[in-house]
Order: sequence, then structure tokens, then C-alpha cells
Amino acid sequence: MASLGRCVRLITRVRPSLALAAIPRTTTIGCLHTLNTRECTVSNKSLLPTLNKTCSVRNYSAKEPLTLDMIQQRVLLVLKLYDKISPEKLTMDSHFMQDLGLDSLDHVEVIMAMEDEFGFEIPDGDAEKLLRPADIIRYVADKEDIYD
Amino acid sequence: MSFLQTEIITHSRRVCSLYKRSLRNIEAWYDQRPMFRYRAVLLRARFDENKNVKDLRVAQQLLDEGEKELFSQIHYQPRQFPHSPGGVACGREVIPPDWVLDYWHPMEKAQFPEYFARREQRKKEYVEWWEKTYGKPTEPAH
Repeated sequence: MASLGRCVRLITRVRPSLALAAIPRTTTIGCLHTLNTRECTVSNKSLLPTLNKTCSVRNYSAKEPLTLDMIQQRVLLVLKLYDKISPEKLTMDSHFMQDLGLDSLDHVEVIMAMEDEFGFEIPDGDAEKLLRPADIIRYVADKEDIYD
Repeated sequence: MSFLQTEIITHSRRVCSLYKRSLRNIEAWYDQRPMFRYRAVLLRARFDENKNVKDLRVAQQLLDEGEKELFSQIHYQPRQFPHSPGGVACGREVIPPDWVLDYWHPMEKAQFPEYFARREQRKKEYVEWWEKTYGKPTEPAH
């Protein structure tokens, strides 16, 4: 009974909008139809290969490709954007505490930024060993099973 | 993973862990980035207030108070990374261990002769390396 009542309420709610929308909908359908026909005529002549290319883009939520170079670029970009690190001093082998002058809480923030960048958790025991950008790159590559 | 402690965890690492968990907690409460940053800066200031405390008893007390405060404000449904415990994809992909291949039937192994020949070779090399590094294993007494 309750569901029936809800249905009735829904219908009453929908009805005015249906009546309003009836006229524009037909016009859009008409537009679509003309567009479709136009595309077909064009594609028959010259655009067929490009159309096929655009249709087949679908990733099925696979991971985006990673290489060592890409990991390096992403790690260095994250570090350069961190406001307590000066980009001029930053190299692959610069120590966070000794060369760049961060303290341990800054290091925690850096590690959290890396977690957010690469989408997996870095446990505390591993995090305290990652003291150089090169270590982080190596760690991420090991995690993602990348060796070239 | 944290239920079994196999090493001594230093005080500074406890503080860092508390800081990280508090930041993640704030991140779970405030989904808008500017709000989160504001709270994070306040939190950082609170940690920096006590960074020069030399007395370890006072530091321990501060740490305990911090843990209590975090426990009282913990989020009911914190965000997790997909593959960490509590995440949506935790344990979704089960990778069979390597030793399973050793228990294949010989008829099955015969279908991949090159692979299994190389595998036996690698195992022999590994045993050699192990004995060179750690010495020969002693026979257990029966």
C-alpha cells in the first residue's frame, strides 16, 4: 500500500515536467538524427580511420603505464612543489635532513605526498629508510614491479 | 600488522606515526583541500610547540595525551588506500606463491621443458649462494 502511494506520488510529481519536456525532446531527437546522417556521409568519404580511433579509447580502470623515468619525474615534481624544499638544491641523492634541511615531521609530510601520488600506503618502518629521492624511486619501482 | 611488535620503536617514530595518523584523520573529516590545509597547519603548530622538550617523561605524557585526543576524534569511516587493510581492493588479487610450480605433475612440467630446466638451474644457484653467504645448514637433531 505504501509503495503504491509512493508510485502515485511519483507520477504526480513527474507528470507536469513530462508535459513541459515533450516538445523540446522531439526537437533534440530531430537534431540528433540530422547530425548522425551528416556524420555518416562525411565518414564514408574521408574520416573513417580517425573515427575508429576515437571510438576504441577505453581503459577498464587498468593502471596507467609506469617506467623508471616517469617515476623519477613524478617524485621530483612532488618534491619541487613542496614549499620547504628549494628546487635548486634538489638532486637525486640529496639527503632530506642533512642536505635539504627538513625535520622528521616534514619527512612524514613528504612520505604522505608520495603515498597520495602513487596511491599506496608506505608503512612507518619503510618510510624512515626513504631518506633520499633515489630511495623513494627505488621503493616505488619495487612495489609496482618495474625494472626498466 | 601492528599487533605483533618485533622491534623497538623509538619515541620519535611514535611521534611521527601520531602526526601522520592525525593528518590522515583530518583528511578524512575535511574533504575540501583548503579546510584540510588550515587544520593541518594548526596541527603542525601544536606539534612544533613541544619539539624542544628534553624530559622524556614529559614527552611521553604529551604523546599519550595526543593518542587519547586522536582516539576521541577518530573518523568513523576513514579513507583507505585501495590495497591497504580496509581498502576496497585489499586482498582482491591473490598471487599464488612461487613454490606451487614445484608441485606440478611431471606431465604438466613436460609441457614447458625450457622453463623448468632454467628454474632448476636457478634453484641450484640460489642454494649455492645461500650456503656461501650463511654457511651450510646444520642437521636438526632427531
